[in-house]
Amino acid sequence: MAQLIVDIADMKFSNNPADTLITYSLGSCLGVAVYDPVLRLGGMVHCMLPLSKVDPEKAKIRPYMFVDTGMQQMLGKLYESGMRKARAVVNVAGGSQVLDNQGVFKIGERNFTVLRKILWKNGLLMNAQEVGGNKSRTVSLEVASGRFSIKSGGKTIYYDVS
Amino acid sequence: MTYREQIAQHIDRFPKMPPLCRSLLGYLEDPDVDFKTIRDLVQYDPGLTANVLKLANSVYFGPAQEISSLQAALVRLGTRRIFELVLSLTVSGRLVTELPGYGLAGRDLLRHSIWTAVAAQELARILQMKNVDTVFTVGLLHDLGLLLLDPFIAEERERFTHIFEDRRLPFDQAEKEVLGMDHAEAGAKILELWQLGPEIVAGVRWHHEPDGAAEFQDLIYLIHLADMLSLSEGIGTGIYGLQFNVSAEPVRALGLKKEHLEYTASKTLDKMRELENILT
Repeated sequence: MAQLIVDIADMKFSNNPADTLITYSLGSCLGVAVYDPVLRLGGMVHCMLPLSKVDPEKAKIRPYMFVDTGMQQMLGKLYESGMRKARAVVNVAGGSQVLDNQGVFKIGERNFTVLRKILWKNGLLMNAQEVGGNKSRTVSLEVASGRFSIKSGGKTIYYDVS
Repeated sequence: MTYREQIAQHIDRFPKMPPLCRSLLGYLEDPDVDFKTIRDLVQYDPGLTANVLKLANSVYFGPAQEISSLQAALVRLGTRRIFELVLSLTVSGRLVTELPGYGLAGRDLLRHSIWTAVAAQELARILQMKNVDTVFTVGLLHDLGLLLLDPFIAEERERFTHIFEDRRLPFDQAEKEVLGMDHAEAGAKILELWQLGPEIVAGVRWHHEPDGAAEFQDLIYLIHLADMLSLSEGIGTGIYGLQFNVSAEPVRALGLKKEHLEYTASKTLDKMRELENILT
């Protein structure tokens, strides 16, 4: 079994059933996995920030840093590889935050708001989601089965494609 | 013996400042020492010299005005900054260690420290703050106390887990409750022994309680906010996750907006990766 590690501000996709996509230590960042069970094709992105307009230059070099450009690019690649919208299974985790009453550190919440808008615009529904809180999370997606896992605080929860 | 007393004993046994740094620091106090003495001391180690230049160019100069000799770096930055670069290079080797108590893997603490240092410097630039020259160094050293407290955290891991899950206490407060000291105070004690001066010590000491400081507020606010941003982005989050308090005063005093933080984060990632290569 090969582990494809998705770095911060990066995306990986695969249709090799031996692969597992994994991304570590999601804080406010979002880990989004999209899977087509018929093609056994899966992609995962690790986005840090909500909107690319905060640094358009950086978005050109690292589109996956931002939820808007990152999702757009990943979905584009998956559609190019044959994914059908009606079959897409979307799982999401992350978006946690430090304890902040001022609200300036609500990066996770803003990330999730932008993601929901993008999914809505694209006519995609969310399957599993575990977003918010103060924990860091690690998520993975098995390409063979579409099984999505969220690990945090020593516990792992699995979500299978129904 | 209380944990606080045990920790005090550990501080005495904590490694001293690396020898080269000690000699450099000695010369900094001496008004009669010229650039040449400092230059020769550093140049004796060609690998170190090369890395000091790489780091100086990366942290203080851009590619547009690259500095290619130690002499030039000394003239432009002064002996104090060069000393801090040498210190950063030697201490960063110690940050590459697994901390099982805190739940940090091999390079987690180093990455967290570099991220904090770079983000603090970026924030200072964006907010046009002056007189915070030590911000990079303090950012790099701010969590040195983790090295000291890790075995004690490991011993009390269950109590920490309980305090977190059930009482939702911020981690530094949990450290104080269980160990009688948090990692900020522990780190400051080490740096006091190393005689690094009141500014660096204060920057480390108050990075989780910025309201407690009597001076150097700007520096402390920057380190506090950069540290919170680093944890937000999931850089070096251990058993504590993101369970730390953001203090209200730094946000208010610096007029911090979410855009400042997001712009800083977008600039910091690549810079952290670049520096990670230089510092290891």
